[in-house]
Amino acid sequence: MITAEEIWFTYPDGPTALRGVSLRIRDRELVAIMGENGAGKTTLVKHFNGLLRPQEGSVTVDGLNTLQVSVAELARKVGYVFQNADHQLFSETVYSEVAFALNNFGYPEKETRRRVQQVLRLLDLEKYRNSSPFSLSGGERKRVALASTLCFDPEIIVLDEPTIGQDGSQKKKLGELIHSFNLEGKTVIVVTHDVEFAAEYAQRIVAMARGRIIADGPSKKVLTNPKILEECALLAPQATQLAQRISERVKGFPTELVSVEEVASAIREFLGG
Amino acid sequence: MSVLQAFNFRRKNTVVHRLDPRTKLYLAITLLIVSFIFSEVVVLSLIFLFLLLVLAAARSLSQWFRTIRGLSFLLIIVVLFNSMFATLGYAITFVVRLLDIMACFSIFFLTVHPDDLAQALIHLHVPFDFAFTLSIATRYVPTLAQEAQTIIDAQMSRGLELQKGNMIKRIRNYIPILIPLIVCSIRRALSVAESLESRAFGSTKRRTYLHALKMAKKDHFVILLATLAVIVSIYYKFLVGLPSWLTWQIPL
Repeated sequence: MITAEEIWFTYPDGPTALRGVSLRIRDRELVAIMGENGAGKTTLVKHFNGLLRPQEGSVTVDGLNTLQVSVAELARKVGYVFQNADHQLFSETVYSEVAFALNNFGYPEKETRRRVQQVLRLLDLEKYRNSSPFSLSGGERKRVALASTLCFDPEIIVLDEPTIGQDGSQKKKLGELIHSFNLEGKTVIVVTHDVEFAAEYAQRIVAMARGRIIADGPSKKVLTNPKILEECALLAPQATQLAQRISERVKGFPTELVSVEEVASAIREFLGG
Repeated sequence: MSVLQAFNFRRKNTVVHRLDPRTKLYLAITLLIVSFIFSEVVVLSLIFLFLLLVLAAARSLSQWFRTIRGLSFLLIIVVLFNSMFATLGYAITFVVRLLDIMACFSIFFLTVHPDDLAQALIHLHVPFDFAFTLSIATRYVPTLAQEAQTIIDAQMSRGLELQKGNMIKRIRNYIPILIPLIVCSIRRALSVAESLESRAFGSTKRRTYLHALKMAKKDHFVILLATLAVIVSIYYKFLVGLPSWLTWQIPL
């Protein structure tokens, strides 16, 4: 469980990125953190594995105050996948890239090999095992970065903008993967601008603007509220827009729908089974 | 990465900022020459005091101190090594001179916008390509610093501990930082080059400029003073000799 209490953070020579943020993320939740550029999303999640420490307030991860533990300790618990894969790829082969974290955490050789193999298979990267990560395409590099975090099996996974640069089918795969981690009992936190992706996969949406949380709740409450969406510079998911347009003509048609599946079943119901 | 603060330009409206970049370049070079002429700690300290005044006039003092804080490790090493092979008094003198040198450069870089820097060089008959390269390089220093921090964060999230191990291990710890940094810089350089070309960079030999630099009265005044300072320095140091209170040495 992650608990943030009234945290404030100002970058040196920079803006105040967080202005009193309180948030509790329970185990096994799948949360999307959304908001316009500069709202403080990334700053907030960097507090979860100790990369940033709150200047006021406190952050606890599974009962540990982040002020009292090192990033290396927290990183094992909270896996953080950065937005740009190019900021972390450096090894000669995909294999050693993925094994890097396992070596840092002191896993024995045999266990390392097993885990790397497993995660490469999971992410469809087996054929690149001995290729240079730099020779891969953007989307593949992003998957290697993901693999290099998933390999140590953290209980909490933070993904910063995972859908950027992924084509439609990879995005779908990614969504299903995130969903399956969640089913396995992992806590997943996704920072994203992608409303469709959040609507499809996240149960809970935390909406941020100007360093504050302005809404926090189930996706069908947050993503269908025009006031919140406007404040966060987001557009409603297309499914929601469709439902709202239908409800203008069809009395009683529900408007709090966010996914295609929900709209489809509402239409079916209205058409009488 | 606070060292790179020195390159982080902010436009301010002060006497120092309003000077022509060529004047500031000249001022920086003359002050540099003066701090090389003298090896007396009293004179070097006076120069330092003067440089601090200039920085204060440019309202950049706190920014400069942050830069120096980032370099304090280097300064401590200089003191240690010098006092090992020479006297502590010499080491301190050397550090004061080093501070002078750093302040000279900082006055220039903290108060000259990268674009104006290019303009100044072009007016000094440096070919446009070189001037532009230099100005774009200064422009990207803060970006590089930010990127380095992101890379450090990303690798720490994968369990990298920079402070772990013996000396050699610690140096090796930086490999996962340096490689992505270099790769990203090269990638960016290529894309900057492409976008420059797509905006017809270098299509004509004689280009025109949006802003032209003009020397004002105050610029000529500063240049005159700076020149006088060098002449007086040389005169007293090599021909007349300094009065005794200026040649006082740290008795250590």
